[in-house]
Amino acid sequence: MSGYGHHGGSYLESKGSFWTNVVDWATTVDHKKIGVMYLFAIMTMFFFGGMAAIAVRLELLEPVRPIQDAAGAIVGVKGQLFGSSDAVSLEAGNNMYNVLFTLHGAIMVFMVIVPSVPASIGNFVLPLMLGAKDVAFPKLNLLSWYIYVVGSIFAVCSIILGGVDTGWTFYTPYSSSSWLGQPKVVLMVLAAFILGFSSILTGLNFVVTVHKLRAPGMGWFDMPLFVWGIYSSAIIQVLATPVIGITLLLLAFERFTRIGIFDPALGGDPVLFQHFFWFYSHPVVYVMILPGMAIISELIGVHAHKKIFGYKAVAFASLGIAGVSFIVWGHHMFTSMSETASMIFSGLTFLVAIPTAVKVFNWIATLYKGSISINAPMLYALIFLFTFSIGGLTGLPLGTLSTDLHLHDTYFVVAHFHYVMMGGTIMAIIGGIHHWWPKMFGKTYNEKQAMIAAVIVFIGFNVTFFTQFFMGTRGMPRRYASYVDEMQIWHHISTGGSLILLVGFLWHLFVLVQSLVAGRKAEKNPWGGLTLEWLADSPPEEHNFPHEPLVTHGPYDYESAVPYHWDPKDYPVPAENLKAAGAH
Amino acid sequence: MHTPSDMTPLFSLADGFWTRTWLRHPASTEVGRETDFMFIWLWWFCVIWFVGLMILMVIFVIKYRRKPGTIAPPSSSHNTPLEIVWTVIPSLFLVWIFFKGFYGYIDKIVAPGHAIDMNLTAFKWGWQINYPNGSETPTTGRVGFREIPVFYMPAKTPVRLKMQSKDVLHAFWVPDFRIKQDVVPNRLMTVWFEADGPNEKTTTRHEVVSKDSPEGKKRPDLVALSGAAYTEHLVFCAEYCGTEHSEMAAFIRVVEPSVYEAWHTAIGTPSDPIELGKRLFKTKCASCHTDDGSSSTGPTWKDLYGKTETLKDGSQVLVDDAYILESIFEPGAKIVKGYEKQNMTSFRGLLNPSQVQGILEYMKSISVHAPKSETPTQ
Ligand code: HEM
Ligand SMILES: [Cu+2]
Repeated sequence: MSGYGHHGGSYLESKGSFWTNVVDWATTVDHKKIGVMYLFAIMTMFFFGGMAAIAVRLELLEPVRPIQDAAGAIVGVKGQLFGSSDAVSLEAGNNMYNVLFTLHGAIMVFMVIVPSVPASIGNFVLPLMLGAKDVAFPKLNLLSWYIYVVGSIFAVCSIILGGVDTGWTFYTPYSSSSWLGQPKVVLMVLAAFILGFSSILTGLNFVVTVHKLRAPGMGWFDMPLFVWGIYSSAIIQVLATPVIGITLLLLAFERFTRIGIFDPALGGDPVLFQHFFWFYSHPVVYVMILPGMAIISELIGVHAHKKIFGYKAVAFASLGIAGVSFIVWGHHMFTSMSETASMIFSGLTFLVAIPTAVKVFNWIATLYKGSISINAPMLYALIFLFTFSIGGLTGLPLGTLSTDLHLHDTYFVVAHFHYVMMGGTIMAIIGGIHHWWPKMFGKTYNEKQAMIAAVIVFIGFNVTFFTQFFMGTRGMPRRYASYVDEMQIWHHISTGGSLILLVGFLWHLFVLVQSLVAGRKAEKNPWGGLTLEWLADSPPEEHNFPHEPLVTHGPYDYESAVPYHWDPKDYPVPAENLKAAGAH
Repeated sequence: MHTPSDMTPLFSLADGFWTRTWLRHPASTEVGRETDFMFIWLWWFCVIWFVGLMILMVIFVIKYRRKPGTIAPPSSSHNTPLEIVWTVIPSLFLVWIFFKGFYGYIDKIVAPGHAIDMNLTAFKWGWQINYPNGSETPTTGRVGFREIPVFYMPAKTPVRLKMQSKDVLHAFWVPDFRIKQDVVPNRLMTVWFEADGPNEKTTTRHEVVSKDSPEGKKRPDLVALSGAAYTEHLVFCAEYCGTEHSEMAAFIRVVEPSVYEAWHTAIGTPSDPIELGKRLFKTKCASCHTDDGSSSTGPTWKDLYGKTETLKDGSQVLVDDAYILESIFEPGAKIVKGYEKQNMTSFRGLLNPSQVQGILEYMKSISVHAPKSETPTQ
């Protein structure tokens, strides 16, 4: 292949003046640069979404209520974001809360979790793992980044115009009738629509890349499990996202033309919207989690120096989850569907729990007789096993019909999906960022500080969200700006936890910034991994490898293969392996 | 039905420390306690799996931590029998959970045939119930700063709510009953419950109001409730519906059936017949008639009384008491021109004489043709 053969400089190398570099990055088709740009874009959105979350939690310290004087006249409002104030009416207080939780949800789902792992780490690592020079369609890849930015700008415009209060689920007829004549709801809907395209293009790119660009010698079952996970989720992205695109367009169309599609006042059907919405949004929760699981498979394999237990079961579980995820959407609608439909969807929902459970068993079995090193990435893998298991198990009372009638639309659901999405995907991506950080930026970070931050995040997360399980079962509906007095103590604990979380994240940020500024040069293969990205330089050169790599061993053959750039002091390998591998 | 709460203490999954921690207290309905049992069962199921997995994880991490200068001992990386076992065993549990959950659900969804029907309307942002006799509850309670309606319900009697929404989606949730049902505009949704009676532990008593006190004269409903025990349950809206979503609450107060009967009769007979007629109009007639002159399936009641109507055969008739009575009990006898295609159902046997009188008085009160002297004033 052309392009190989000359030993280029690092992809991060400066191309000249500041503006030359800006233009270079803005027009790059290098998957690594695009991955890094995505990482920064997504972390920025994560910051905004996080601020909205903290605002929500602070507002919930007190229920939104009027303060009355002795005569009963309203003299102020409590439960406001910035303490009591008499300038803001009760209505404004409630509305502010509704806008904040919608913002938080929409940003975190559409701009953070859905693109997070594939677009950032996936973009960077996937071609390297396959031994490819780039993704299959590099220009499309850049386009998808710009589409992401345009989508985010639409969302920001909507926020500047006052923000929307529809919830991230945009349920009709509320969403098709609130603030008619104002563009902000349509702007937010279009933002989600546009972001969908970015997601489709990335997914398409990855599917083709995996099919076409594997290095010589790499069969399907020689692929790292990270690739399997990204591949499965890419399939869902391509197949499910168009449905939400059409649905959101119909919603915008209904708002403009007032032709009834979803709004019963116009002759439409709101439950139809729910079917359309969840037909996308349930599969998409697996777009969120499969790449997270994919990272975990890598972290556990590499840091336990052990072949993943039941490699094929894990790979097929990914595909199985992707397949079943398309037929369980109705479990979000048990309170608005017929009995028969509810029964069918409940049964199917339990089907998806099985491959999920199998994966967890496999990861834990991989630890057995491993050689486990505990560092920030591995700590995150263990945290993931803890939090994600809670998230998955609490899916059971939600999938069970009788209990879901009690739990639906309460804080129990809120806690469940934070345990799977934040405790799953976010924990996985932080672990992944630390795992591939030396590869991405060629710098080491302070391992001990990163682990301290991980522990803070772990504690903060559980304090924040475990509390919410109790709130839900004890009678706290979700999306409430106000609540009965006996709930206040739970809200206080939860808000306290969220502040601990904030400290943990800032601590991480500090460690990573410090690494960029003052980190030592990283080794090529700091963890002794066997997958191809560890063959490349840290950071990789512009075309990834000096020559096309040849795959001679499986991704986790720690018992028979020698890690690239192996340092015998750190990772002893049996002498016969060395001989067999012809001494690297 | 099999009651989990009367099982031996060891297996008492539905009434113990964990029920109180998770669910505040056992549910106040029989089917709700079935749910409690299921939830607490699932809680222990999850605890066992989770703790088991975490113990293994921690043991492995400690035991097999990396030791400098040594390598991991070889071990197999798959084990087909083990993998089959850990796929099949959870699957069997899941099948059981599914069926158990489904049966509990059916019990919650299918109302017994003899349930009392009431109409519930959900709107931004509140609830309204029209009792079988057409009246609404006159009582309100407070949560936080808000006045919310108090709905009286008979204990140990199945009640079915036929729910409609006036605007957007709402959901009717009574945490203590463990039931929830979305209320979708343009659809009739139903939910039912059979609440436990007020008992020693959960009960409060109403103030005593005597029939002859000034308050008792004004509020016969308070007299009916005088001194009676009740158990109170909160109702929430669980489907996001906008600005005051979190204020959309109500109370259900469960009283003994005899107290409920007395209360129901008391609210059903307002001393003012116009008021009674207006309520009946809203609950029974407003689906086809209007009282403001706008058109609908049937003729409007505005300015109807005392008017001369043209019938479909071209003859004319004066709208008086006799004509109205005939229209209520034998709607097909005279058809007004323009309404040939509609047919109204007869209300024979569904209205008692004072209710009919109420309807007549209400019609008179909204018609300019009605003789003024006959309109009673309060
Ligand atoms: C064992 C696996 C799982 C089961 C059985 C399960 C089951 C359920 C059920 C039944 C609901 C609906 C609850 C309700 O609204 O009443 C739900 C909600 C949800 N689940 Fe899961 N779930 C599982 C795993 C996951 C995973 C892996 C994710 C994502 C990473 C996820 C994300 C969500 C989200 C986002 C919602 C709520 C969306 C909303 O209403 O805003 N779940 N889950
Ligand atoms: Cu789902």
